[in-house]
Amino acid sequence: MLKINNLNAKVGEKSILNDFSLDIKPGEVHAIMGPNGSGKSTLSNILSGKKGYDVSGEIKFEGIDLFSLETEERAHKGIFLAFQYPLEIPGVNTNIFLKTSLNAIRKARGENELDALEFLKLVKQKSKELKFDEEKLNRQLNVGFSGGEKKKNEILQMSILNPKLSILDETDSGLDIDALKTVAQGVNALRKKNNSFLIITHYQRLLDYIKPDHVHVLMNGKITKSGGPDLALELEKKGYEGLN
Amino acid sequence: MEKQLIKDFEKSFKNSNLDSEKINLKKEFLNKFIKEGLPGKNLENWKFSDLSKIIKTEIGDLSFYNDISSPNKIDPSIYLKGMEHNSIVFINGRVEKINLKFEEIDKVEISEDFQSDKTSLDINSLVNLNSAFAEKNFLLTVKENYSFKKPLVVYHYTNKKIKSQNLNLRLNFELEKNTSLKLIDVLDDFSEKNFINTFYSFKLNEDAILKNYKLDIKNNSNIKYSFTNFEQEKNSLSETFILSSGSDFNKNEINCNLNGNYSSAFVNGILSLNKKKHHEIRTNVNHLTESTKSYQLIKSVLENNARAVYQGKIFVSSDAQKTDGYQLSKAILLEDTTEFNAKPELEIYADDVKCSHGSASGSLNENSIFYIMSRGLNYKQAKELLINGFLLDVINKITDEDVKNLIKTMIGIKE
Repeated sequence: MLKINNLNAKVGEKSILNDFSLDIKPGEVHAIMGPNGSGKSTLSNILSGKKGYDVSGEIKFEGIDLFSLETEERAHKGIFLAFQYPLEIPGVNTNIFLKTSLNAIRKARGENELDALEFLKLVKQKSKELKFDEEKLNRQLNVGFSGGEKKKNEILQMSILNPKLSILDETDSGLDIDALKTVAQGVNALRKKNNSFLIITHYQRLLDYIKPDHVHVLMNGKITKSGGPDLALELEKKGYEGLN
Repeated sequence: MEKQLIKDFEKSFKNSNLDSEKINLKKEFLNKFIKEGLPGKNLENWKFSDLSKIIKTEIGDLSFYNDISSPNKIDPSIYLKGMEHNSIVFINGRVEKINLKFEEIDKVEISEDFQSDKTSLDINSLVNLNSAFAEKNFLLTVKENYSFKKPLVVYHYTNKKIKSQNLNLRLNFELEKNTSLKLIDVLDDFSEKNFINTFYSFKLNEDAILKNYKLDIKNNSNIKYSFTNFEQEKNSLSETFILSSGSDFNKNEINCNLNGNYSSAFVNGILSLNKKKHHEIRTNVNHLTESTKSYQLIKSVLENNARAVYQGKIFVSSDAQKTDGYQLSKAILLEDTTEFNAKPELEIYADDVKCSHGSASGSLNENSIFYIMSRGLNYKQAKELLINGFLLDVINKITDEDVKNLIKTMIGIKE
């Protein structure tokens, strides 16, 4: 589904990703763990099409060159990024934003846009599943939301948009244990044989609830070790320093 | 310009039925204007908007004579749709029709030659110009305990018959005790390169409520100045909303005297400008007695060489304890070619007051745009969403639902 070959990324003179390669197959859950500054967020930004990086190498998403697609086109193709720091958008109603987003994606895919009633039904069901306070849907997007609510809102958006590849950028940071479980539930509900996940995290805690197929250690912009779920446990014990 | 002014003045009032005393008073104002001239950046109030220079380069020589001898036909398409309303239609500065069909006839009074208090008029050179040339001095009085049933829309319509001309329009409103009026000014221009100078005065007696919405939407190359004066007595409330967008130049100046306890004034506005347009809002809110309140929120969105100015002053006299004064201006500059000037001022002589002011300007947040685009919206849609969200905040200050929806439609905000 996603094939990254020798990806290099620089900001100015600073090199962040070095010959980074990764292959995610349909239905797989990959976890990338790494210390601060190892390039985790840069990777998720580049996958979603954020500007400002000097990149080389190759990324293919279902065979298509990702660099040829704008950010919104990547969303249309089924890539979703749950932000580490979701932005507050004043004056934009959460519900309306969700509907606009879903319909933009459906339209780009040649599907029927949902009318207000159909959308309401969908959003009500998903909010309930994620224990997301429906009242918040009528507020301005993320404005005045707590850290946990913002993260849950990301997962709600993910559930509604039903992407093929979901990238979770430190979604677990700042979550209490109940919220963590709810978020994991949301992810697990989306796990199907064609949906893949790239979970970026500092800790293995989230991986107690979302069982990954592969775990990779990212250090200095490069995957230094790959393995199964056990690698996360090993990391937790030894730390990044103790791996080598 | 002096010769032209005198010539046009004589032409204007040669066959007028005004008595000699009124003509002489007008001459006094004319002479004052001749002495002072059009304001330029040498004056503090005009330092961001050099009107004298702007008129010179954009229009050149102005004619001050306005032939209002023959009536103009009203094109019915000018009327706002979807909202029942009373109307006053001005075409090229001539009043063509006054229609107050929704109101009780004995509760509203209109006179055409209101005698303004002479001393209150010597405000600035443009008001003097207005006093000299305004053909009629309308006064609309709302009688005690009467609330207008429907809004009153004043159409300021101009057509191609006029060019390089100066129009002077003058409207006074008196709201007697316990009355209310919703007034909507629609600036609708098909003319180009004129200088339109409007003077408004509102006298709000005890418990009176006035809502005034000024809408300058249609693209045109006219240059406009409007001065609005409020005198507010006890427990009266004024709400002004300015949507400033269409004309090449527009300066709205508001002076508000809060004379009575518990009187309050709200001034909110949007400056949405492109293509070298230059608009200004300048306010002067004077808290002159105890327990009065003022609130101002101005938002600007600027692109393509546009320039917006907000000068907001809150004055609190030594008698005005327990004043609550607030003002905030925010601007989004979409391009490097745009400019926003803000001059917030507080002048406070009382010690038990709550006053604040703030001003912020910047470009759109690229991270917010990335966030929205990552949800499937393109750059243009993301930008629009952010701008609409930015403006919605001030639009939501409009307390009249019909007008709020009208303005949302006018600037294309969907919710």
